[in-house]
Formats: sequence, structure tokens, C-alpha cells
Amino acid sequence: MTFVGLGVTFLGFVIAFVSLGVTDSTGGRMGIVLVGIAVSLVGIMGVITPAYQKTWIWKK
Amino acid sequence: MTKKIVLVVAMVSCLMRAGTVHAQTPAPDAQPAAAPAAAQPVVSVAPITAADLNAPVKPTDRANGDPDGSLTGTANDIAISDPKVGLTVADVLNQIGANRIGVNFGWTLLCGFLIMFMQAGFAVVEAGLCRAKNANHTMMMNFMVYGVGMLAYFLIGFPLQMGGAGAIANLGGTPVLNSEFTIHLFGKDLGLFGNTGYLLMHHGTYDVAVMVIFLFQMVFMDTTTTIVTGTCCERWKYSAFMVSTMFLGAFTYPIFANWAWGGGWLAMLGANFGLGHGYADFAGSGVVHSVGGLTALACAFILGPRIGKYTRNGDANPIPGHDIMWVLCGCFILAFGWFGFNPGSTLALSGNGGLRAASVAVNTMLAGMTGSFGGILYMWIRYGKPDASMSGNAFLAGLVAITSPSGFVNPVASAIIGLVAGVLVCLSCEFVERVLKVDDPVGAISVHGTNGIWGVIAVGLFSDGKSNYGGSWNGVTGNVTGLFYGDAGQLVAQLMGVATLIGFVFVMSFVVNLFVDWFVGQRVSAKSELEGLDLPEMGAVAYPDFVLRNEGEMVA
Repeated sequence: MTFVGLGVTFLGFVIAFVSLGVTDSTGGRMGIVLVGIAVSLVGIMGVITPAYQKTWIWKK
Repeated sequence: MTKKIVLVVAMVSCLMRAGTVHAQTPAPDAQPAAAPAAAQPVVSVAPITAADLNAPVKPTDRANGDPDGSLTGTANDIAISDPKVGLTVADVLNQIGANRIGVNFGWTLLCGFLIMFMQAGFAVVEAGLCRAKNANHTMMMNFMVYGVGMLAYFLIGFPLQMGGAGAIANLGGTPVLNSEFTIHLFGKDLGLFGNTGYLLMHHGTYDVAVMVIFLFQMVFMDTTTTIVTGTCCERWKYSAFMVSTMFLGAFTYPIFANWAWGGGWLAMLGANFGLGHGYADFAGSGVVHSVGGLTALACAFILGPRIGKYTRNGDANPIPGHDIMWVLCGCFILAFGWFGFNPGSTLALSGNGGLRAASVAVNTMLAGMTGSFGGILYMWIRYGKPDASMSGNAFLAGLVAITSPSGFVNPVASAIIGLVAGVLVCLSCEFVERVLKVDDPVGAISVHGTNGIWGVIAVGLFSDGKSNYGGSWNGVTGNVTGLFYGDAGQLVAQLMGVATLIGFVFVMSFVVNLFVDWFVGQRVSAKSELEGLDLPEMGAVAYPDFVLRNEGEMVA
């Protein structure tokens, strides 16, 4: 799951980056970049965090 | 010849004076120009006459010393290129140029020295916030981070970051830093990394201006690496720390720093895509602090929490540090160093916005102050006591948050940015500890990661368009202006920087440290951790005369 989480986090960056090519609108770019940031945060907090918490020492 | 010299000096003086007045005139409603002109009579020509040039100060004139300084620093001290010809117009003009660059070199170097001293601040803050049984280990990480990071940066990092930065006018130009690797995408050339300056010898980079920018950038990078040691202290294997730091100094930091400061694609978002002035990060809330904070978060995931930090049902136990005096003393050392960090990022006191250093310094002070107020008030209201370590962290959070906007915002905005940062660091610490359940003994993820990102966003909100660093920023004419002053594009550029930090830098740091974990092993054994890392890892304890609690028995 760690690599899935890393993939989702990186996908957020890709979404934000692609906004440069898909629209010239400032508002449109802002919306896409915010979506990208949200996806990255989901990757960190929603996927990587639970994946790692399973292995931590107080869970054993 | 003498008349020519006087004429040229008069012209140059008038031009410099006119430029200075222009740079200091921030708004139409500012003080009328007549007032300062009346207060300061035109003196540009009078002191330099033919008599002065033909009658230099003789050694006998200073036989009784020069108590008021009037005999020291005269036309005698202008370097003459050809003694047979004597002083020429070219000599005078060259001296003016040398003086300007000399002032800027001196300023930038001195600020770099101040930033280097921040290592001491980080060391005592982190050592104070860890337990006594790990003090030697924590101090030794902070000690060697300087050398390990510098070596990596010297070998690989600096060329990657600054190899394509181009000429830096305030330092007399660095034309040899002219090789940037780019890819062509979306119809534009996007810079990815620099490719010259290896060992400070490659491709003509054995150059005094390159040396200045290397020193200044190196201490910034070292600040980033020392952020990670705080989060990972008390359980990080020393060998893993050295390898991880090497990667951070050689690759992770320089690549993002190239994108932001070295002419990379983030800096060019304005010139290429019309997004404000591109990603603007005056002194590194994003480049330095967020990169360090997010790398710390990645390492903390891999390391896991310290033994005893969480109960079996996931509740957090407080593990207080062993010396709060060192913590708060270290905060002051860091605040002192921050006067190199932010004002020094003008890279100048003379020309191209150099005088703006005064505004940057005041903004830095104000944000630190309001940050500490924000933190102390939050803790007092929420927990009934003004927590010392959180007050220190809130102080630092204010400084972190203002690092990026300090060159672009006014004092009121600085105070607001700092106040928000002071509260934000408290909320973030609680979130990291209770929700993410990430163990961060010093709060570095919140201080540097969270508030670094807040600082980056603040540029896109509060920049007032009054700063002037030579008429343009990142190749876009005009001054950096945020959303509240009419430029939404600048906020988009800043958010793009945030997306890159979270989505790229964090992932890169995570992958690098996974490799370190696989090949070296990141975490010490449970036995070593319970015993304290000083003896197992370093071979000596920090306080041999003290009797420390046996925490192994306590946990058992």
C-alpha cells in the first residue's frame, strides 16, 4: 500500500502540472492545481499513513 | 584630465542620487521630494576637486593618527591601473563599480556567516527537546550535517541547483553559470536542473562571484538538512542519517531549488505561462523549510514513533525534552541567524532593491514576534498554561512563514502572516501527533513543513507590488503582486509550488529514504533506543557525571 500511496501522492503533482497545458484560464488552472494538492494529501493521509501505522511498534 | 574626472564624478554622483531617490519612493503619497533635497544639500561635486586629486594625503599628515576619520579613505585609496599615467576617469568609474559589488559581496558573505551560525541554534534546540540519554547523538547529527551536506552540495548539489542560474547582477554577474538542462513541453522550454560548476572549477566557475553564491546557497541547503535530524532524533541510526543527508544535499534539495531559484520551470511560470511572476520564494519558506519538513515527514513514516510515545490503543504520551533553557536559547540564536537568511536574500545592499533589506529585516522581526504571541495565546487558552516549547516553536513558525514573503509584503501583512503561523503550528503539531500519529520530537514537520507551505501561499495573497528588485522578477516586468492586490495568477504560481512540494519532493524523499532503509537500515535496535543512543551509536554519553533514569525498566 505504501507504493500505492506514493503513486497517488505523485498523481496529485501530475494533475497540477498538466494544468499548464490543458487551459490558459487562471481560474481553471487554480481549480486544477487545488484538485492536485487535494489528491496528494489524500495519498499521504489516506493511504500512506494507515499503511505505515500497521507496522509501527505500538501496534505490535 | 582633472576637469574630466570632476565632471564624470559629478555626473555619476547625480545619476546615483537620482536612482536612489527613485528606489526609495514607494508611492505617490510619500513624502515630497523637496523635503529630503532641502535637508541634504547637493554635495556630490564639492569634496572632489583638482586640489584633492593633486594633493593627496601624505604619511606625515597622519603622524598623529586620524581620530575623526577625515584622512582615511580619500582619493589616495582609489586603485590606479597605471602609475605612470596616474588617476584616470576609468579608474574612478571602476572604483565605483568595485565599491558597489564589494558592498554586495560583503553583505551576502556576512549574511551567509550568520546563517551558518543557525546550525548552532538548531543543534541546541533539538538536543534540548530530546532526552538526556540521546543528547550526544542528537548534537553529533547536527554537527556532522554541516560537513556531510556541504560535501554533497560541493560535489553534486550546487551544479544541479545553480548551474543554469545565469548572471546575478547584484554580484557582478555570474555568466559562467549558464547551462540548464531543459525539456520542451506545452510549447515551452522547462528547466529541470543545472549542469555546470562541478567542484567550483568546471567551465570557468573558479570565479569570485560564483564563490559568494556557493557559500550563500550552501548554508541554505544545510539548514534544510538539519530540519530532518530534529524529527528523526532518538531513534535514527547514525549511518543512515549520513547517507540520507548526503542524498538530500546532493539531489532532493538542489533539484527543487533549481526549479525555484536556478531558472527552472517553476520560476519561469510567469514568463512562460503568464502566472504572475512565476513561483516566488524570496528566502526559502518552500525551498528550504518545506523541503526539510516534508523530508522529515517521509523519514518519520519510515522510522515510526519512539518506543513509549504511543500506548497500545494509540494515545500519545508526552516525552518532554531534557533542557528547556537550551531550547529557548536556541530559538534566539535561530532568530539572530534569520537576519542573515531573509535580508541577505537581497544579495545586495547597493542597487537592484538592496535597500529593501531594511524592510525585509523588519518584516522578519515582526512575524517572529506575532508568531510567538499566536502560539502562546493558543496554548494558554486551550491548556491553561503558556507552554515554553510551543512558544519557541511558534516563534520559529512565524519566522519560517515570513521567509518566503519577507521581500514582497508590508509590515502589517508580516504581522498577520506570523500570527497565523503561530496558531497554525500548534494545530499542526496536534494533528501530526494525534491524527497522523507521526512522532516528531521537536515539531519540525509543523514548524518547517506546514508553515513553509503557509509562507509560500502567503506570497500569493499578501504581496503588495511595492518591492522593486531592478524592475522585474523571474523575467517578468513589474513587482510581485498577490491576490489581495489584484494578481490571482501569482497565487496559482504559488499553489503550483505547493503541489510540487507535496506531490514531488515528498515522494522523492520517501523513495530515497526507502532505499536507505533497505540498504542501511534506518532505525536503531529497541535495546539501543531504550538504553539511549549516546553509548550504542556514539560511544560516549553527553552527561557522564549525571545519573539518568533507566527508561527500559520504566517501560517494562
